[in-house]
Amino acid sequence: MSTRKVATIALCVLALGACKLKTAGEQESSSCPAKVESPGAVEQILPPPGSKPAAGDWLIRRLNAEPGTLNPITATDNYSQMIDAMIMDTLLDMDLATQELIPLLAEKWEVSEDKLTFTFHLHKNVKWHDGKPFTADDVIYSLQRIMDPKVDAAPLRIYYIDCVETKKVDAYTVRFTWRQPYFKALEALAALPIVPKHIMDDGTDFNKHPYGRNPIGTGPYRFVTWETGKRIELVRNKDYFGKPGYFERIIFKFITDNNGALQVFNQGEVDFLERLSQTQWIKQTNYPEFFKRANKIYYDYPQYSYIGWNMRRPPFDDQRVRTAMTMLLNREAILKNIYYCLGKVVSGPYYVNTPYYDQSIKPLPYDPDKAKALLAQAGWADHNQDGILDKDGKDFKFEFLISSGSETAEKIATIYKEDLQSAGIHMEIRKLEWAVFLQNVQEWSFDACTLAWALDANPDEYQIWHSSMADVKGSSNHVGYKNPEVDRLIEEARQEFDKQKRIELNHRIHRLIADDQPYTFLFCPKELAAVDKRITNVVPYAIRPIFKFAEWYVPKDLQKYSGDRLQRP
Amino acid sequence: MRSYILRRLLLMLPTMLGITLVTFTIIQLAPGSPAELKIRADQTGALGEQYTKEVIEQTKKLYGLDKPIHIRYLIWLKQVATLNFGESYKDHRPVMKIILERIPVSLQLSLTSIFLIYLLAVPIGVYSAVKQKSVSDRIITVGLFILYSLPNFWVAMMLILFVGGGQFFHWFPVYGLNSEGADQLPFIAWLGDRLWHLALPVACLTYAGLAFISRQQRAAMLEVIRQDYIRTARAKGLPEKLVVFKHAMRNSLIPIVTLAAALFPAILGGSVIIESIFSIPGMGKLGFDAILARDYPVIMGDATISAFLTLIGILAADLTYTLIDPRISFEART
Repeated sequence: MSTRKVATIALCVLALGACKLKTAGEQESSSCPAKVESPGAVEQILPPPGSKPAAGDWLIRRLNAEPGTLNPITATDNYSQMIDAMIMDTLLDMDLATQELIPLLAEKWEVSEDKLTFTFHLHKNVKWHDGKPFTADDVIYSLQRIMDPKVDAAPLRIYYIDCVETKKVDAYTVRFTWRQPYFKALEALAALPIVPKHIMDDGTDFNKHPYGRNPIGTGPYRFVTWETGKRIELVRNKDYFGKPGYFERIIFKFITDNNGALQVFNQGEVDFLERLSQTQWIKQTNYPEFFKRANKIYYDYPQYSYIGWNMRRPPFDDQRVRTAMTMLLNREAILKNIYYCLGKVVSGPYYVNTPYYDQSIKPLPYDPDKAKALLAQAGWADHNQDGILDKDGKDFKFEFLISSGSETAEKIATIYKEDLQSAGIHMEIRKLEWAVFLQNVQEWSFDACTLAWALDANPDEYQIWHSSMADVKGSSNHVGYKNPEVDRLIEEARQEFDKQKRIELNHRIHRLIADDQPYTFLFCPKELAAVDKRITNVVPYAIRPIFKFAEWYVPKDLQKYSGDRLQRP
Repeated sequence: MRSYILRRLLLMLPTMLGITLVTFTIIQLAPGSPAELKIRADQTGALGEQYTKEVIEQTKKLYGLDKPIHIRYLIWLKQVATLNFGESYKDHRPVMKIILERIPVSLQLSLTSIFLIYLLAVPIGVYSAVKQKSVSDRIITVGLFILYSLPNFWVAMMLILFVGGGQFFHWFPVYGLNSEGADQLPFIAWLGDRLWHLALPVACLTYAGLAFISRQQRAAMLEVIRQDYIRTARAKGLPEKLVVFKHAMRNSLIPIVTLAAALFPAILGGSVIIESIFSIPGMGKLGFDAILARDYPVIMGDATISAFLTLIGILAADLTYTLIDPRISFEART
């Protein structure tokens, strides 16, 4: 029975993809305007003049799926992170506007001269939601659990593996010692998830602790209920030590289907809907009644997509071939036809809205003639006159791996296949289910694949580009990129605590990688969202989680819910 | 009768053993590893890959995946013997508990739709058989074939778009099984609210089965109506109503009852699409998500319970024969 379910779903995806391909296939070579032109859409929603922030009302958000657990240490999905961010605090916070660390549970912190020791001085009057005081013991206990092999916290453990010593200096001071200087150590410690020791340390198995479905934090919102399969509700923490948000309640509804979610939004039962599809954005939210009840907002998302070339195998072991492959892909046209211009073509592995991205490096142009010349230089020409390039008697054929369920990847692949065909290259598209796709990529059994990386405010390129990762199966350097100069720069940047110097180092890495073209860099997409009209002061920031929900509010006269009840039906 | 049921129940044991063995082997041998999937869920900014390997090994050990596959199967069997299906890798809750949460949801959908299918299909089938080749029979035939050929995800989408608010009619809710705060409603109002929420998903689950079963009913009825005893019944002057409903219809029901057994598990499994589209937390979606995440304990729990329900369904259908046709009996014939 199990296999049949999979087959049915795969077929649906196929069918949907197929109907939409026709329009996307027609390419026009004109590029996108510099500014996004989308009727009714705005970059931010500012309060009308004279409007005053007012506490009250609810914010109802949509989650694509139900989180597994709300225990921040064993949770692995984004959904639990979104919710836990409201209930719990970390030692330090990242200011989304300045991209600098600011105090939260720790009121100040010190980094030692040798950059190995980090001392945090905790706020003294922070209380857990059950009234017990928050102390250094909670911090130390949390890190201990993360490092405990019996705790299902593998993804988190990797971040703290270099922390060799944790010391409680006094009840409100903790000190961590790192094995080697690393500029992201402070960020990792700042983001350490903290759980209450007095509740968790009761002898039950940490993974199964009921806390996961009934969490207690120190944060601006308290957990109220979790209705399985339906919703999670939070209420404002009146005793919060910092500045809480304006909303009285925040509700997360689990709505799996995107079309269903838009309809629920239309019915007024969701206030904020993220990740609208391009089609929904352009076609299904463009009528006057929609604008009457909602604002449409768009923003850059810290992510880039790419096509990775397996550099361990010919023909992609040759830089000229990879460059030619990039020049054969009309990224501007794809951006226009598939993404409706909602995004940017990128030239390297950095987020365009951070200073680490070198704006002077432009993406390679779409240039089939130059690509053909490069391929000829590399020895690829149609010697046997069969319409397909060959070299040493071998045809230029390769397999392009995409993961099923990614509609855009499939459209891009189809356009690319046609373009390559006319250049004499035969590309086979192979679509695999995510788990299988991942396994193929990790075991290097692919010629080319397409994926995306999410990006941090401060990048560390070690994992993806350092040559020591190139020969480790399952590593993120799945294309097998090796460049001694890049290695040296990455190592230097990892130990560089001065941001400006790190920016310069990363600009040099950017240029080297852009020259080598281990990836064909694709797009930094724009995310699209709809917000209920009554909510204001919605301003997107450059880095995740994009919004400061504590800034949002509903002016008093527009409030829809009060306390437990709907105010106006 | 009792010994027959007992024999059938005992026969289920080896069948179940075979089903679980095959399922277990297939899912464990399928590419993709739960430990890797979990760790790759979020990997930006992680430190070194040499550590990643170590951590993956730790996770495998935690999930008991470090042992060889036949040992794992035996461990699993031993657990299941005490009705313990292990715990989900996703949230470490007992699989049994997760499934018990979901079964009532799926059953509400499937039972309501099976009930509706039979309630409507049998009379439609009988009617078009009796009025064979009339204009109304032809209209019904064409209509049913159209229904049968519409894919249900498409119908679900159309229903959501056109009667679920937005630009068109706001007649039905498109999310979940209850309105906000329905728990506080009096029972009748609660039931109304629930039915209102069930309307669209049940419609999607019903129409194709309705078309199929009513065609089967029509065929079975036509078969019976040609029999000599029907002619005899008419010849001796019985009223047509009695001929059709007592003599013909009862005899035509046997193949339809057999189909019910096949329909039941199909509706449980087939609802993955409908459950996803309408955000209903049922069995189909549970199994599907578990497969994508390689959550072995949940997949096995789901498969075992579905297999068990299917076998029970088949048994129930066999037993129903005796109710419809007194000639069929499972008493010992030694």
